[in-house]
Amino acid sequence: MVGFTDIVLSHEVDVFSGSKHESDAAEFETRGVTVRARKPATT
Amino acid sequence: MTVEVGVASVNREVLRRQIQAKYRDVAVHPEAGFHFHTGRPLAQMLGYADAVVDGLPAGTVDSFAGTGNPFLFGALAPGETVVDVGAGAGFDTLIAAQQVGPAGQVIAVDMTPEMREKLVQSAASLALSNISVREGYAEALPVPDQIADVVISNGVINLCPDKQQVLRELYRVLKPGGRIQVGDILVHTPVPPEAKDDIELWSG
Repeated sequence: MVGFTDIVLSHEVDVFSGSKHESDAAEFETRGVTVRARKPATT
Repeated sequence: MTVEVGVASVNREVLRRQIQAKYRDVAVHPEAGFHFHTGRPLAQMLGYADAVVDGLPAGTVDSFAGTGNPFLFGALAPGETVVDVGAGAGFDTLIAAQQVGPAGQVIAVDMTPEMREKLVQSAASLALSNISVREGYAEALPVPDQIADVVISNGVINLCPDKQQVLRELYRVLKPGGRIQVGDILVHTPVPPEAKDDIELWSG
């Protein structure tokens, strides 16, 4: 199976802290993150 | 380790209508206040440079909602073709269009008419002619195969019940060697099935 490769995750950000969604987000330890990944040059 | 990503059983059409209603409000009444952060304070939290935000129309900035920063890994290159999945009011679309320049293009896809309308107006106000705004869903992008050098998205995939199908679509539209730069959310505590079926939790 071919899929994404070279997957890199950024630092996590507590994006719901201080928002009205904070308690729900905290319950599931929700964090914002940015992902970079690549489609192989040859598939 | 491989983790299976299931398809949530939530009613897809009901969920889409509810999310559209929420993001219609973000487009039209961004000052209303939501269960998630929006606007310039959120952009600062996510590491967008003030100078970049200052260059965008105020209405675009006010309606910004996201969970990451697709440009954290560096600027896009001039001439690149970009697909912005769930572009919203176009905060990331406009940044991408400026970075890829007139030799590049950005295809912005969103399901909410008010967001698309706002994006078209904002692109016109900045005289950006390299943006194509299209109606569509992340699970069925109105985009040809292998057209994109990069796919960006920000806080959208978590709102889609069938995440595997979304990822298949991102993969399909990418050129070989292309990349995704996607902001979204992680949960460190497993979400129980009853919470996954709670549409209020999905749409906030």
